[in-house]
Amino acid sequence: MLRLLLSTALATGLAVTAQAQEITVGAANVSSYLDPGRDHSNVGSQFYYNAFDTLIGKNHDVIGAEWRPALATEWQLVEPKVMELKLRQGVTFHNGEEMTADDVVFSLNRMYQATFAPYLVRSRDRLGNFTGAEKVDDYTVRITVEKEEPLWETLLNLQQVMIIPEEYTKALAGDPTVAEDSDFEAFSLAPVGTGPYRVSEFVPGERVVYERFDGFWGEPAPLARATVRHIPETASRLTALKTGEADIVTNIAPDQLALIESDDSLRAVGSATPLFHVMIMNMNHPKLRDPRIRQAMSLAIDRDTLNEALWLGKAVVPSSHTLAEYGDLYMPELKTFEYNPEKARQLLQEAGYDGFEITFDTHPVYYTNGLLAAQAITEMWAEVGLKGRVDVAEMWSGNDPEMMARNWSNPMYFADPFGSFGVMWAPGGPSQSEGRFNTDAEYAEIWERFRFSKDVAARKAAYAELMERIRQDPPVLPLYRPYESWAMKKNVNWAPKPGHIPYVLDFRAGSISFSDS
Amino acid sequence: MVSITPTPRTSPLLQALRGHWAAANGIQRVAIVLGLSLIALAALAPLIAPFDPVDQSLISRLRPPIGFARYKSGFYLGTDELGRDVLSRCLYGLRLTLSLALAGACIGLLTGASLGLTAGIRRGWVENLVMAAVDIQIAVPFTLIALLILAIFGSSLQVMVLVLGVYGWEQYARIVRAEVRKIAEMPFIEAARAAGASRGHIARNHILPNIVSPLVVQFTLSVSNIVILESTLSFLGLGVQPPTATLGSMVGVGRDYMPTAPWIVIAPAAMILLVTFAVQILGDWMRDRADVRLRER
Amino acid sequence: MIMFALRTVLKMAITLFVIITLVFFATRLSGNPIDIVVGEGLTQEDRAVLTAYFGLDAPVWEQYLRYLRSILAGEFGISFLERRPVSQIVAERIGPSLQLLASSLALTLAVAVPLGIAAALYRKSWIGSAVMIVAFLGYAVPNFVLAIFMILIFAFTLNWLPVVGNGSPWHFVMPTIAMSGVLIAALTRFTRNAMLDVLGQDYMRTARAKGLPEHVVIFKHGLKNAGVTILSVLGLQIAGMAASGNVVIEAIFSWPGIGDLLVRSAIMRDYPVLQFGVISVALAVVVINAVVDIAYAWADPRIRLAGG
Repeated sequence: MLRLLLSTALATGLAVTAQAQEITVGAANVSSYLDPGRDHSNVGSQFYYNAFDTLIGKNHDVIGAEWRPALATEWQLVEPKVMELKLRQGVTFHNGEEMTADDVVFSLNRMYQATFAPYLVRSRDRLGNFTGAEKVDDYTVRITVEKEEPLWETLLNLQQVMIIPEEYTKALAGDPTVAEDSDFEAFSLAPVGTGPYRVSEFVPGERVVYERFDGFWGEPAPLARATVRHIPETASRLTALKTGEADIVTNIAPDQLALIESDDSLRAVGSATPLFHVMIMNMNHPKLRDPRIRQAMSLAIDRDTLNEALWLGKAVVPSSHTLAEYGDLYMPELKTFEYNPEKARQLLQEAGYDGFEITFDTHPVYYTNGLLAAQAITEMWAEVGLKGRVDVAEMWSGNDPEMMARNWSNPMYFADPFGSFGVMWAPGGPSQSEGRFNTDAEYAEIWERFRFSKDVAARKAAYAELMERIRQDPPVLPLYRPYESWAMKKNVNWAPKPGHIPYVLDFRAGSISFSDS
Repeated sequence: MVSITPTPRTSPLLQALRGHWAAANGIQRVAIVLGLSLIALAALAPLIAPFDPVDQSLISRLRPPIGFARYKSGFYLGTDELGRDVLSRCLYGLRLTLSLALAGACIGLLTGASLGLTAGIRRGWVENLVMAAVDIQIAVPFTLIALLILAIFGSSLQVMVLVLGVYGWEQYARIVRAEVRKIAEMPFIEAARAAGASRGHIARNHILPNIVSPLVVQFTLSVSNIVILESTLSFLGLGVQPPTATLGSMVGVGRDYMPTAPWIVIAPAAMILLVTFAVQILGDWMRDRADVRLRER
Repeated sequence: MIMFALRTVLKMAITLFVIITLVFFATRLSGNPIDIVVGEGLTQEDRAVLTAYFGLDAPVWEQYLRYLRSILAGEFGISFLERRPVSQIVAERIGPSLQLLASSLALTLAVAVPLGIAAALYRKSWIGSAVMIVAFLGYAVPNFVLAIFMILIFAFTLNWLPVVGNGSPWHFVMPTIAMSGVLIAALTRFTRNAMLDVLGQDYMRTARAKGLPEHVVIFKHGLKNAGVTILSVLGLQIAGMAASGNVVIEAIFSWPGIGDLLVRSAIMRDYPVLQFGVISVALAVVVINAVVDIAYAWADPRIRLAGG
């Protein structure tokens, strides 16, 4: 009894101090819609974690997979292809509805059995193995897969399968008992979840306002209110921090860090974000069919110098398409990519390179330092005798048969090689489908082993084989994990947590606090 | 340059120039000298630029100009975000910006003036059509038109010239049409027509000479407007392709470095200012001179 | 007079129709927006699904006819990105743009007219030259350069002024000045020239000859007559210039206005928003022009008779 009183008192006390806390975030980009299911953009991933929950949670303080109960309190395989989950009781959505198995089944099947086009395309690349969810009782659901699934928890922890309310969504437009496309469209402007914050105001592209949701099932939110504002200009973002219009600002380029460090009232935190900026090369361009040309394009790039010059050495240059976040499947021992200008020159000679021009396409601003890297890369190509030209355009050229090389990113959509390399370079995936990457039966067989082997060692061995294929006939070169920085007032204690996917603005309990000074 | 010492046999052109110089006031003389120096700098860029404007040096990025700590010897105005020489880029940028502005203004002048002339002489549905096009052009902010064109065709140098060429044609068309209509009612045209002169003859010999001066004035204005337009488009990320430098693209790209490495922006911004300033004053001066001549007649 | 007004309205309608058509086909020429709207990592199959979902799979002329029909029904489409009616999106942003335009015009009038008059009156002295040099400088500085230098000085270094949005009167200071720079320069020169023209007119000499005090002559007779020219310049020139000027200034100051929206929708290929935005701006410019035309005709019967 005493303990209960004490903890209540503590909680109340905390709530009082926290109540005063409001922050404004100046963000380089703000989403045009908010629906965790249809979104996998780097812009969107900032916003969902505060307002939505997954069935299976994760300890975000550590790298690697430490699963935690979230909206599901326990889960177990009841058959090799069927997972049964017990749902947490007493969870309410921001609109006051209680969460039951119906909502969960609705949320999952809107992805697993998608009819709404944006869900369809989002589920295909990662949720293809999931056939459906069904209600057992009000607090129990079963999920069925097609092939035995080694990544159950990972794929139930995805942003795309966060839980939304069924009745609310169906009633948004048209017939209130049927889920129509217009319901999902309306939901993306008035999102409702179960997270510690509710979205109290949303102006697409301009502003997202969170308010503490008092009915949250877990530890209460530390902030009473958080406003994320769109401030596209870098200089304006920095200035907003100085004038006090923002407490935290996102996307600070490494070149600006000195400025933050020289100001006593500000500080910056950063991390090498779990995504790769990559260079892609078109295997099927008539002039690039010879793998030796593409190998040379790759070998000529001194990624360490790019890192030193553009990222102050804070980015991470990988030896293979692998990330520390993969845990057991992190394989730094693979040497898939290297810098070797001598070999590049030799390969060019062997391939009989006749000096034709290779264009490198880049978006003007989308990737931090992207344009600079593109220009530096063509300069490095020149060192080995490759003639390069930068072509700046907003339009995506990855599906253009004329495309020779361009920059792209391979984000870690979830912490597994399947969540980064696997999404982009699967047989029949985006890269192949766009006609710049080829796979054959052998590749598909290796991929199948990598994706579905239940034994980690077997998956690793298969992944190593995939990387060897990539090395021999390269369609891609991961340049680096970019170093992303957030700048903030000195009294704000916030940092990106290592267990998240890229760019998540996590304001949950334990993720943000304020010091008095 | 304008020769100060008289030569024994003075050509009429030189004489005219000397007349203009004598009639100019202080600020106008400054503008003349400034304008000619800028043209000279642009023309001589390949000779006087200390470095190749696209040569990078990643290890010496963002070095400040002479006189500051970390100055890198030889790079008088510092280096940019890829370690390129800001001075050399400014000179080449000036060269390209001026060329673009002149090319754009010439295209605009030719299309606009010929459309206006046709409209003014032919009247009827031709005139209605041209004036409808003018109305449409006026109704949509030019920045938007440029955005659309650049979105459709991508931003190569050729497209840029085209976009800048579209700029301002409606002004020329309006001016020329108005002038033509005014002149057409003057007695000497009536006389020429009565004497059996053809329409082409009248246009060439009677109308054209009379609309030259307002056109020259408009041309100058549009050169400076185009310089600013080009920099605005570059600012929006729609300028010429890197690594090629224009003054506008240097400001546009460099603006993110404004708080940390302001020299990247200040040098080209100052150049833009000097160019437009000189051109504006010269334009105004020409207008005054034109007005004077008109009044004297 | 009624005929004149009718003709003007008809002209407006035709202009708008042509603009709608041009913008529609221009956007459709600039390629499939799916990749930009939806983000990276789509297979060709996904792309086809989404193209159909956004109604971009039909032949262009069919899309065009559909669009015209929906316009006649008063519907201007749904944003690709934001999935809500474009009329709602544009409506949200007209207010802030108009506020900024109004404050800029106020500042412009307050500064440029006195400067222009001074420049005309003291044409021969250093005051006139000084004013004109300042005016030329104002014209020579691109507005975004003015904006970023102001931000550097007054916000970044001195922390005096806010830079984000339109939340308070203080937020108006820098965007207004940045937008007015060019307008002030232009209007100062127009005012000066208009005043110079007026000062040389016979009625001014008559007024002086009547022994009226100089300030009465200038303000009552001079300014009144120059005012017609000044106002028409404001209407014609400034509407267009302000609309273009907005584009950059709004982006820099995160001003939730229509210029910012237009640039973003052009870059993101949000065609429905872009189309409706261009139509709205064009409508505004066309109406202003028409009003100026009609007012001009009303003030000056010669134009009416000539049938401009």
